[in-house]
Amino acid sequence: MNRLTTIFLSLVMAVAVVGYFVGLGDGVPKPDGLYDSPLLDRELSATVASEVKLIPAVSYAEIASTPMGPTKPWQGMPQALPGADYDLYTKIEPSEAEKEASSKLRASRRAFNGAPPIIPHPVENTTDAACYACHSNGVKMAGLKASVMSHQFLGNCVQCHAPMAPAPFQDVDASVDTSFVGLPAPKQGKRAYQGAPPTIPHSQWMRESCNACHGGPHGWAGMESTHPWRTNCTQCHAPSATLDQMPEADIVPMLPPLDVVAK
Amino acid sequence: MMDSKRRNFLKSAAMAAAGSMVAGNTSLPVVHADQAVDDLPTGEGMEWNKAPCRFCGTGCHVQVGVEDGRVVAIAGDKAADVNKGLLCVKGYHVGGILYGKDRLTQPLLRQDDGSLKAIEWDKAIEIIAKRIFDSPETFAFYGSGQWTIPEGYAAQKFMKGGLGNNHIDPNARLCMASAVTGFLATYGVDEPAGCYQDLDECDVLITWGNNPAEMHPVLFSRVTDRRSRGETVRIIDIGTRRTRTTDAANDYLEMKPHGDVAISLGIMHLLIENDNYDKSFVEKHCNFRGAEELTPTLQGEQISEDDFRKRIAKYTPELVEELSGVPADSIRMLADLFGNHDIRITSLWCMGMNQHTMGTAINSLVHGVHLLSGHFGRPGDAPTSLTGQPSACGTVREVGTLAHALPGGRVVAKPEHREQCEGFWNVREGSINEVPGYHTVKMFEQFTTPTSDGGDITTMFVQVTNPGQTLPNLNALFNDKKGLEDKFLIVSDVYPTATTALADLILPAAMWVEKNGMFGNSERRTQQWFKMVDPPGEARDDTWMTIAIAHKLFEMGHEGMKDRDGDFIFAVKDDDGQEIPVWEFDRYYDTNVDKHLFEEYRLFTTMKHKNLAPYEEYVKARGLRWPVVEQEDGSWRETKFRFSGFDDPFVKEGQEFDFYHSSSDDGRAQIWFHEYAPPPEMPDDEFPMWLCTGRVLEHWHTGTMTRRLAPLNRAMPTAYVEMHMEDAKAANIRQGEVVTIESRRGVCDLPVWIDGRGRPPRGTVFVPFFDETKLINNVTLDAHDPFSKQPDYKKCAVRVVKKADAKVSS
Repeated sequence: MNRLTTIFLSLVMAVAVVGYFVGLGDGVPKPDGLYDSPLLDRELSATVASEVKLIPAVSYAEIASTPMGPTKPWQGMPQALPGADYDLYTKIEPSEAEKEASSKLRASRRAFNGAPPIIPHPVENTTDAACYACHSNGVKMAGLKASVMSHQFLGNCVQCHAPMAPAPFQDVDASVDTSFVGLPAPKQGKRAYQGAPPTIPHSQWMRESCNACHGGPHGWAGMESTHPWRTNCTQCHAPSATLDQMPEADIVPMLPPLDVVAK
Repeated sequence: MMDSKRRNFLKSAAMAAAGSMVAGNTSLPVVHADQAVDDLPTGEGMEWNKAPCRFCGTGCHVQVGVEDGRVVAIAGDKAADVNKGLLCVKGYHVGGILYGKDRLTQPLLRQDDGSLKAIEWDKAIEIIAKRIFDSPETFAFYGSGQWTIPEGYAAQKFMKGGLGNNHIDPNARLCMASAVTGFLATYGVDEPAGCYQDLDECDVLITWGNNPAEMHPVLFSRVTDRRSRGETVRIIDIGTRRTRTTDAANDYLEMKPHGDVAISLGIMHLLIENDNYDKSFVEKHCNFRGAEELTPTLQGEQISEDDFRKRIAKYTPELVEELSGVPADSIRMLADLFGNHDIRITSLWCMGMNQHTMGTAINSLVHGVHLLSGHFGRPGDAPTSLTGQPSACGTVREVGTLAHALPGGRVVAKPEHREQCEGFWNVREGSINEVPGYHTVKMFEQFTTPTSDGGDITTMFVQVTNPGQTLPNLNALFNDKKGLEDKFLIVSDVYPTATTALADLILPAAMWVEKNGMFGNSERRTQQWFKMVDPPGEARDDTWMTIAIAHKLFEMGHEGMKDRDGDFIFAVKDDDGQEIPVWEFDRYYDTNVDKHLFEEYRLFTTMKHKNLAPYEEYVKARGLRWPVVEQEDGSWRETKFRFSGFDDPFVKEGQEFDFYHSSSDDGRAQIWFHEYAPPPEMPDDEFPMWLCTGRVLEHWHTGTMTRRLAPLNRAMPTAYVEMHMEDAKAANIRQGEVVTIESRRGVCDLPVWIDGRGRPPRGTVFVPFFDETKLINNVTLDAHDPFSKQPDYKKCAVRVVKKADAKVSS
């Protein structure tokens, strides 16, 4: 009897619970898109990251509540012991192929050489601090790379760097029919002779930190300096006056030649 | 409790978005590169040259990299004082605006069946000239704050000097007309006294209904970068919604629409009550003024300080809280800041205070707050009105391309001003009509009213602007109507727009560095650039169009196109005194027409002490702020702080301040009193929400240029309606869902962005107007300020309806 009562009561409870939830889901659509953000969804962000090799940036306020630990693909990988810290003196042999691949990727994010790169990952309405969290020193992890800022800290990152479309509008066709052809990245600097240090083939403005691309642990493959321990780049590599908007001079001004009288 | 099906759907939607990211969105969504370019640019032989940016009123200078006749790169100009080498995301990509695939390249005439047919330029000019010749008084010229100074000057001279017709008005009427009336009412002369240096030196920055983090980002980061350098700047944001500017602000004061009027009155009330206003400044340099009771004018009438005290006494913090929604304590906080003379306070405003049915009043009141508190005229102490267009100041306000104005701060109503202009132009006496022409709203009303019903504008020429998207209440003022078959709309533009869609004749225009030009920015800075590349196809300069039409009329024997000596009014002579036929386009660049027009225009500028330097000085400089005055050594000196004795050469010797164009003729500025009045349309049961319209960082104005730039369109591909989460929830509206915005005047369908980039409070929605496929101005109100005639785009009553429930769909 006791047992029957227990079964009966559990049935009643089960029905009540089921009924409660059925009652909740009365078939009327709830505005449940409100709180959804692909950026805040742990599972989704893991998928996004593994699929497209991107890590979503969230706003600074949301960092605390956002899973920032190892992503699923990372966890799925055979783990090795951490390697040694970045070694300045590892021999670096940049390859042309790597350089070309890096150039291509960089070019795909700029309208022309010198344009501020667009932001290639989703951002919500982030503050600068959220950008800075990854991009101040750069991050390299499992094939993902957050570039180092090549210029000093400036407020309002999205003033210059255009983000992806806001979350609700990412499937809107944003294609543009244009005949604009931007200046491509220069391939290399000029050398006065074989073995001479090459000149800097691009402007230095907003690219004050050479290591952002050319060295350190977070540079671009194929563009790294072979001598990252050297810190005063312009000691050997001459910049361009024209590209750096120095005062113009068509002819390099010189003193007149010596007035040597022929005998 | 999200069911798994829905979760999967969401996931796959996100994946699809993510997938497209890989294909296109992580890089730039460019459809194709141009086959026309045989050799890709290499950077070899690239030439750099300076130009002001084409977009907003900040007036940044860019360096334009040109190779093989094409713009291939842009850089911030390090020599430019405005932007110091930085730009914003629009400026960095400004070079691409020349290269949209659908540039207009030939004149197009609408046929009877509604199609467009390419015609020759000669034919186009002839058609226009004939229409004007047949009915000169029913012709109207609608221009813009993007007219270069010479373009606006040529249009002005053609209309007022040549045709004796004052129906010329600019889109700036919709943009900063109330700023002008505010300056005139307060100082007797237009344009800000301070300059951008105020942003480097202020301790407190107050943004009044202003979002410079997005709209004037270079100026705003000039302030926030000071913080990065360790300086302290307190930013106070007064607005009707949270924006990116709010993110950087120390204080956010959320006000009800029109609350700004109450807030400024409340501050002045407290300054007087606490007795901490700047008595010495007020005593020496200010008068008090109020509106006349019967017919208020811009001049107003002088009132005593006592009278002012009496009138303002009722605006206690408690009343202001009730009117504005801003807590009384915050009003006290603002008043205490203004009462502290040891700090420097700069106010910034733009469309929030200008697109306002009390625009003149609120502009005057905020100037009044600064004057009463003495926060004026020291670097960092400035009421600063920003402009949205690159030459709203230079062309519209200084050249005076407004229905009532003449160049150099003159007005058609004053006989001596007309006489002076007729003298400078050497046109016959009495050429200039003394009756002001139609202001923008009136002009379009008359154009879209059938002639038989008194619509006495029959031909309109639109240059450099897009009224089909920007006018308020488009259904009333622009959209297609019956009974207008005899009307003729001529539009000069660079791309197809909402305006060319209804045009009878479309003229392809050269733009930006495809022509010579001059702009004048928000801080009185006049800038110059040279043509660097050729325009595509048959596209031609707007100045040339005006001159060619004028010359055709001259040939047809129109008397107004002749000066007193019988010469063509735009005659340009070479060094040997031979006339250069600049009306023939292949001869147009035989000389620098801009320079000729500018040198003629300079003569007008000294009356209001807005002296300009010779053209060649601007060639050398990255702009110069007027008054630019020649020094004893022959150099030209610009002025940073107008009316301040330490900097302005026109202030009387020994004076600390001198408002030398005072409307009371005593060197004093006017502190105005205006009574608070509620907005003309408020939410009610039928239309329960406020609608505010505005802009976003990535797009400029109607998006005709920026929406053809891949990086910008990728970042902001569509207009949207920003909504509060609770409002969306209550109406069962989801993120991204397309809804219908309805007002008494029209409808517009838009996708919803709940808690988007800006966050409006409950009961308010915000829509940017850049998207030509989603015309929010079908919904807005055409009520306007009584003095400036500027409409209010910032507030009207709407309802947001799910599409299935909408009565009419747009």
